[in-house]
Amino acid sequence: MNRRIAIRDLTLALGGLVSIPAWATDGWNTHSFQLNQSFLKVSEQNMLEVIVETIIPESTTKGAKSLGVPAFLQKMLQDCYEAPVSENIRNGLAATDTTAQKQFGKSFADCDTQQKQQILLSFEKSQDTKLKDFYSLVKNLTILGYTTSEYVQTEFLRYNMAPGHYYGCVPVKK
Amino acid sequence: MANLNIEAKKQNTYDAIVIGSGISGGWAAKELCEKGLKTIVLERGRDIKHIADYPTAMKNPWDFEHRGQVPLDIRAQYPKGRSAFLREETLPFALKDGIQPFVEEKPFTWTRGYHVGGKSLMWARQTQRWSDLDFEGPKRDGFAVDWPIRYADIAPWYSHVEKFAGISGNKDGLQELPDGEFLTPIELNCVEQHLKKVLAEHYEQKRHVIQGRCAHVTEPQAIHLKQGRAKCQHRNLCNRGCPYGGYFSSNASTLPWAAKTGNMTLRPFSTVHSIIFDEKLNKASGVRVVDTNTKEMIEYYAKIIFVNGSALNSNLILLNSISGRFPNGLGNDSGLLGKFIAWHNYRGRISAEVEGFLDKMTDGKNPSNGYVPRFRNLFSQETDFLRGYAAGVGAGRGYYSSREGIGEDLKNNLLYPKLGNWGVSSWMMGEIVPIEKNHVRLHETLKDPYGIPQLVTSAEWTDNDVKMVQDYIEQFTEMFTKAGFKNIKASDGKSNPGSDIHEMGGVRMGYDPKTSLLNKWNALHLCKNVFVTDGACMTSTGTQNPSLTYMALTARAANYAVGELKKRNL
Repeated sequence: MNRRIAIRDLTLALGGLVSIPAWATDGWNTHSFQLNQSFLKVSEQNMLEVIVETIIPESTTKGAKSLGVPAFLQKMLQDCYEAPVSENIRNGLAATDTTAQKQFGKSFADCDTQQKQQILLSFEKSQDTKLKDFYSLVKNLTILGYTTSEYVQTEFLRYNMAPGHYYGCVPVKK
Repeated sequence: MANLNIEAKKQNTYDAIVIGSGISGGWAAKELCEKGLKTIVLERGRDIKHIADYPTAMKNPWDFEHRGQVPLDIRAQYPKGRSAFLREETLPFALKDGIQPFVEEKPFTWTRGYHVGGKSLMWARQTQRWSDLDFEGPKRDGFAVDWPIRYADIAPWYSHVEKFAGISGNKDGLQELPDGEFLTPIELNCVEQHLKKVLAEHYEQKRHVIQGRCAHVTEPQAIHLKQGRAKCQHRNLCNRGCPYGGYFSSNASTLPWAAKTGNMTLRPFSTVHSIIFDEKLNKASGVRVVDTNTKEMIEYYAKIIFVNGSALNSNLILLNSISGRFPNGLGNDSGLLGKFIAWHNYRGRISAEVEGFLDKMTDGKNPSNGYVPRFRNLFSQETDFLRGYAAGVGAGRGYYSSREGIGEDLKNNLLYPKLGNWGVSSWMMGEIVPIEKNHVRLHETLKDPYGIPQLVTSAEWTDNDVKMVQDYIEQFTEMFTKAGFKNIKASDGKSNPGSDIHEMGGVRMGYDPKTSLLNKWNALHLCKNVFVTDGACMTSTGTQNPSLTYMALTARAANYAVGELKKRNL
């Protein structure tokens, strides 16, 4: 259930007994993560975008990039992580390109999907803990941003803010 | 000038003062205001209005800028904050550090709710009655002092508060956990029912699994609708504040009810410094309050005072109420004030995997959980430790997705999660035998930002507690094994005392002023117009989540106080 419906139901449930507060009647932008200034340079932002889209690509269903996950990642890294962590992200972004140049003689962005995946998967198993941490954090935040998006929550993950009941033992729904 | 003072004193004079607006303070306010007493409710924190001040209550996961995680710069303001409340969802109710520093002589986790409503906005909403097996505990087993009340004294008051608060539960007919005034029960799920059956078979009907009775309106009655509360929506977002009033809190229930009488004055930002004792009248005449915004000291006066500041703070206030007559704290001739501090033992945990039941699942959300009432040493002493434990128990079946891989495979895993197997877990809720050594006291020199002495906490686990954790682990491993659960993992979390957020005692009830502070009506033996009805009054701890008992004791004491006032005895 989305917020608009939830608030309509709240009004119904309370039967006009109490007045609905300002936070419920004010519209707000669901894409509330607005990024004013990133700690990443434009080239680094582009790089991050390509990586995020490699992890969860667009196809018949939406991918991470079109759901705004790259901006979410920057917001998270900027606000919720210590400086050494964000520094490691910058280094990781640079290392991704260096690896692409070394292995395929072109920039990461110019690699084909299989090559991009190969590079990132190699980070996952890398002995270099910094590289491993870099990819692990980017991947986890990408999954977090993607799976908590309105699109994935409502279209795929049966999001229901107010089920209104609890049944302890029902047949599995196919 | 003299006239001005008289005028000021008149303005600050009420019939009753209630210190604290949490779960027990709210009840004091409701009962006293309903009986026509002009009552001022003093709350040290800010106001939180029902619905209007629950800013995160209707937010979806994607509405949270950091998906719940708290940014570093904000987190830095809560260095000791409990991680459970340091989320974007619950940050409005978290306590900033530095507001009230205290000295942990021994490690103690002290969770406070400094806002109107107190911890009634943050509680687990479990509401189990005590039975005589609990009230008779100290006498039977020879610890603390005998409770001056029995189940029959409090039973009508349990009913009184249950009807108003709205308690969902099943009439289970258990002597150790008396039935109450219940709304529609929430059902146990398949695996919990299975465990119930197994325990009944293997333990001669002496161990039970029931649904925990909880303060959720599963079926609103006229009295709940009159409070503006609606049916619980099974959102399980309770700790954001419930805009439906689906669960009981001071904010949704008792405080607005008290306000409607026109007799309540609610004063937020008011930290009580001490209670004023009038030596001529030989009773309390009012309280000294520090306005936390202006730091100004203000006095309020009343005929009766209810102390509901939360267990440890109520101790602090009494300890800091020094007078010629009471140099060691109000009513403290015995020297026992602040001593026999206790809490609940939540150290033991166990979890396991469940095979089978694969054609069944749950639907919706359970705001409560399964509950195993105390079965140890119930009718006679049978182990090498005193008392026993209740336990929460919950089974469930969730969806999961593999996070392996990359690209389209990963995406499909995330978009189409699979139904997992059933899992089951339990957590212990053990009774603590209060001992004198476990205490709180005032620090000799250190003060908080309002000039109030800092509290020193000095409490630790005893052998009895450790043995009880061991027994819980053994017994639940055995029960889970008998139920056929697999991969059983049990552990002793060795958490700090106080982690359960059920701190109790220090101002205990009893018959004798030499060995207790409060009489059977929760009034100080030596200052009869001061009533302490929060956790501080507890002579022993039982195993039950304590809030319901505080509510019932408060309503009982408030009605007694009003009667005494009418008889001009106070």
